[in-house]
Amino acid sequence: MTAPATSFWRIAGMTYLQYANRAAGSVRAGLKEPLKSKLAAQGQFSYKVSSWTNGEQSPKIEIDTLDKAGKAV
Amino acid sequence: MLSRTASLVARKVVPRASFAARAFSSEATADATSVTLNLSVPYESIYNGAAVEQVIIPGTEGEYGITVNHVPYVAQMKPGVLQVLFEGAEPEKYFVAGGYAVTHANSVTDVVCVEAVKLDDIDPSAVQSNYDAAKSAAGAAASGSVEEAEAMIDMEVNKAMGLAVGLTLA
Repeated sequence: MTAPATSFWRIAGMTYLQYANRAAGSVRAGLKEPLKSKLAAQGQFSYKVSSWTNGEQSPKIEIDTLDKAGKAV
Repeated sequence: MLSRTASLVARKVVPRASFAARAFSSEATADATSVTLNLSVPYESIYNGAAVEQVIIPGTEGEYGITVNHVPYVAQMKPGVLQVLFEGAEPEKYFVAGGYAVTHANSVTDVVCVEAVKLDDIDPSAVQSNYDAAKSAAGAAASGSVEEAEAMIDMEVNKAMGLAVGLTLA
């Protein structure tokens, strides 16, 4: 029992989604044009969230990475 | 989808009839003559119900081929080449970034991945420079950090992409 029973990215604290998206981004970075620019936007997203407490809305937080999405609210 | 008579006539498929009865898709029958392939990325359906001879899948536990009447199987994929073999035609080769492959009892195989590209679209010089950049980033990052893991993922993917286009990276 010397080798860990899980992958290196899991040990570092990444989730499967973070791993899969990183790998996909890595594939997109190694493509020829024009496909490279066509797919460049696939890995990007952003949205705003806010929570409500006692009828008061908290300031909106912009989420543009999976890491922020997990910690925002 | 699966008629009672079909399961009686079918030679090898009789023990699988009960599995087939609870499969999700109804596109193929128990005595299918080809693999039904669904290959999807989030923004596109590359194959939808295509009849193919064989699919070779890069599983994390090793590469494997799916032919007609394969036993049900689920596998996580590693970054690598997925081959789609048609009868009497050149295989279609895709590079997948990872994802999941599910083979149902009725020869339907679903492949879902975050990114899948044709091998012809890979730029070997970009792969080479991305690999070198990832390698130095991995060396510079603190051991056990997320940055190191990300750089290692980049190295792994670029190494596999290099291998797919005949480039040996070290």
